Amino acid sequence: MSASAEPLLQVEGLRVQFHTRAGILDAVDGVDFHIGRNEILGLVGESGSGKTMSSLAMLRLVTPPGRITGGQIRFDGHDLLALAPKDMASLRGRRIAMVFQNPAYSLNPLMSIGSQLAEIVRHHEKLSRDAAQARVLDLLRLVGIADPTIRLRQFPHEMSGGMKQRVCIARALLCNPALVLADEPTTALDVTIQAQILDLLLDLKGRLHTSMLLVTHDMGVVARMADRIVVMYAGRVCETADSRTVFRAPLHPYTIALLESVPRADRAYSRDGVRETLPAIGGRLPDMLSPPTGCRFHPRCPEAIVDCSRVVPLATEVSPGHVVSCIRRGSRSVPVTP
Amino acid sequence: MNGVARFIARRLAFGVVLVAGVSAIVFFLVNAIGNPIAMLIAGQPNATEEQINQLTAYYHLDEPAWQRYLHWLGNLAHLDFGTSITYNEPVSDMLLVWGSETLKIQIPAILIAFFMAIAIATHASMRQYSRTDFSIMAGALLGQSLPAFLTGLILILVFAYTLGIFPSYGAYSTRNPLLGSPLLDALWHMVLPVSMLAYFNTATLTLLLRANLVEVLRHDYIMAARASGLPERRIVFGHALRNAIIPVLTYLGILFGLMLATAPVTETVFTWPGLGFLYINAIQQLDYPVIMGVSVVIAVMLVLTTLATDIAYVFIDPRIRLD
Amino acid sequence: MASETVTPAPRILLRRQGMWRLGLQRLRRNRSGMLGLSLVAFVVLVAITCHWLAPYDPNDQSAALGFGTSKGPALLHLLGTDRLGYDILSRLVYGAPTALAVGIGAMMIASLIGVTIGGIAGYCGGMVDELLMRFTEFLLVLPVFLVILAVVRLFGIMVVGSWLERVPDLNLITIILLLGCFGWPSIARITRAEFLRLRHAEFVEAARCIGTRQRDIVLRHILPNALPSIIVVVALGVGGAVLAEAMISFLGFGDPNSISWGQLLYFNYETMRIAPWATLAPGAAIFITVLGFNLLADGLSDAFNPRLRQ
Repeated sequence: MSASAEPLLQVEGLRVQFHTRAGILDAVDGVDFHIGRNEILGLVGESGSGKTMSSLAMLRLVTPPGRITGGQIRFDGHDLLALAPKDMASLRGRRIAMVFQNPAYSLNPLMSIGSQLAEIVRHHEKLSRDAAQARVLDLLRLVGIADPTIRLRQFPHEMSGGMKQRVCIARALLCNPALVLADEPTTALDVTIQAQILDLLLDLKGRLHTSMLLVTHDMGVVARMADRIVVMYAGRVCETADSRTVFRAPLHPYTIALLESVPRADRAYSRDGVRETLPAIGGRLPDMLSPPTGCRFHPRCPEAIVDCSRVVPLATEVSPGHVVSCIRRGSRSVPVTP
Repeated sequence: MNGVARFIARRLAFGVVLVAGVSAIVFFLVNAIGNPIAMLIAGQPNATEEQINQLTAYYHLDEPAWQRYLHWLGNLAHLDFGTSITYNEPVSDMLLVWGSETLKIQIPAILIAFFMAIAIATHASMRQYSRTDFSIMAGALLGQSLPAFLTGLILILVFAYTLGIFPSYGAYSTRNPLLGSPLLDALWHMVLPVSMLAYFNTATLTLLLRANLVEVLRHDYIMAARASGLPERRIVFGHALRNAIIPVLTYLGILFGLMLATAPVTETVFTWPGLGFLYINAIQQLDYPVIMGVSVVIAVMLVLTTLATDIAYVFIDPRIRLD
Repeated sequence: MASETVTPAPRILLRRQGMWRLGLQRLRRNRSGMLGLSLVAFVVLVAITCHWLAPYDPNDQSAALGFGTSKGPALLHLLGTDRLGYDILSRLVYGAPTALAVGIGAMMIASLIGVTIGGIAGYCGGMVDELLMRFTEFLLVLPVFLVILAVVRLFGIMVVGSWLERVPDLNLITIILLLGCFGWPSIARITRAEFLRLRHAEFVEAARCIGTRQRDIVLRHILPNALPSIIVVVALGVGGAVLAEAMISFLGFGDPNSISWGQLLYFNYETMRIAPWATLAPGAAIFITVLGFNLLADGLSDAFNPRLRQ
């Protein structure tokens, strides 16, 4: 199931820090992952896990007070963090594109759909106005929008949420990028529309062979979409494996707890006729300004031991394609620097 | 487009009512103050009996107030504002001549302020939190606190008295126009008053626009535009500015409406023969045909500018509908 | 990891108290706000101590015979003399209480009117709100400055020969009244906005649920929480009123018997060429006062409604 030859995107030791008045916050703390060609990688985690920051870092769109402070991002042979700003801008929208969470806010309310999208394709490919419009129409049709010629002159507020998100997907695909970053693309949509959009994305991946980084907190979404899954917690990677393994044989206690807490239709949450409470992960999300020492999950982990607060687990490949950061699963570790 | 036409028609009708209402208020206020004949005498202590009788007959001063108002309204319909008591000229002519002098300095001032504010604010917002940004903000705050007419005084002191580069009063040189060209001469006289007006407006507009730009640049669609690879300049000028400029346009509308309010002080500082200067004199001299005339102009300006702002809104923001 | 901690009994702070103390704390950390506060305090101090601070009586023209008129700053007259032989520094100092009287007096009147109208509009809503706001908008667009000029002059004519003429500082009082009567729209607008916002706040709902009277809800719950925003606008308004009076006097409509900075400008504008300090001094005084109130208002605004900064 692994990608052929060199992966399309390789991230190593990514660090994103926020310098706030209250202190330095490590939003992303030494994260590794890779995406192969024609592959969907699901990046899963709760809020504050650093998953959105990781995806923004791919495009070097982290804005102050946040900064990318370390690591390497290799895309198609380029070292993204070492590129000149102009070269990076040339990659954005053309080779790597992004779909944002809330389609209502990610389109300029004062410009027509047609002009917003045409502007992008004309910038990257220097097309004439007619050629650009033709391309926009093609893509609107591709994402399943009926009557695209009418939509060209419409404004965002004249469209439904689902249609707006289709437009955003079309925008991302304008220049046929190799990688699409999708940050919670369906969270802001109605449940019925969610399914449509996810199906659309799968369909497009199949047709255009685009790779995708799918950021979400919804296990159901990754179950449906992702080829491989990366589970994040408090800025660090807990577990990386292909989708099947994550759902059938998860290793990291956090992954296990996460899967436990998703309500399932094939489980009866009652014992002897008495209804049980839904399992949830005890405790609270850590304060990222002063996170727990050692493994960041240990205060909430049912399998934590004393050592868990004394050493930082390192991502270790415990079986082919399956990487875990937990000393109770055999990961290597380094002691906490005092 | 039918909706727009209806909208304009409705607002114009309301405007006419407003002008009539304001003029009525002013008229009756002036008349309520006291016996107009006595006021005439108070303003013209050397009037002879015959002159008083003449004026009384001309202005129908012996008739009740509401009748006089109707006479006046009737004249107004012919654009006859009466004759100035002090200058003995038709008020309508005076309004035109003095009014154009006021426009000569006010309109360039507003336009200059607008474009300078765009240039400065975009520059600052692209370098947010940098030293440039902070110094621009501080400069603008200072400019806003320095009252406009103090700026005028300083400008005169520095550039007219000390350095002698620009004239300190008047709109034209009485003899020997600059370099023999009346046009250049007029422009030369305009520099200081326009600078004074533009300065304060630039400061206010810059602060307003910068705050809006910073706010807009935080929005998701700006991030999305960056993610699409568009250059930063295009994003600021093409996307952010479009969204941030709306409150500024409102303020511009207010500035146009305030043209006459800021005129008296400016024109007194520079002894500029404009409508504000005329108004002040008219009040001092109790030249009430002129007072009435200027009041009507003010009311009309009010209506026109609010109407223009509303219409501009509709064209800029497609989300606003006219029903 | 449970340890024995003794939690003190919870102290119920009045919502009001917490808000003010927090706001004042934040104000102290705001540099421009504190600068504004010090400038305002300075002006107030000068106004209070003007009797003792001024080296000469403000109406003392003896310099005309000795030191000379329109003379520049010197040891005897720290800011020089003007064209009538008055000591500029003394007149400047005596201008401070006038300025504050105008600013604060006008704003007190404006606040009374504005808070009442804005509060009614914001709390009642509906037709009442519409009507009141149309009226307020109208006044905001109107060039009230010109109207005030006209009324001041016409009023001056009216009282000639009547008993009112003998009231001291009548002209000044008229100006204060007019500035107050025309300066309320911006206060009304912010009051209305705040009342609209707070009308549906949870603690107001809670108060209603336990049967608090309408009057008490407004006066004891809504109004105190609306005060911070209103105070900001009022602070701005004080600076504005001082400036307005200066402009009114500068144009010649002021009170010739009162000593105000605007009056000083009016007297000395003609001789600006030979005695610039006579106009620069009151000009600077006006600037400092207006700047002080503007900065203070800015600081208060940040203190009570902190925006996210870096």
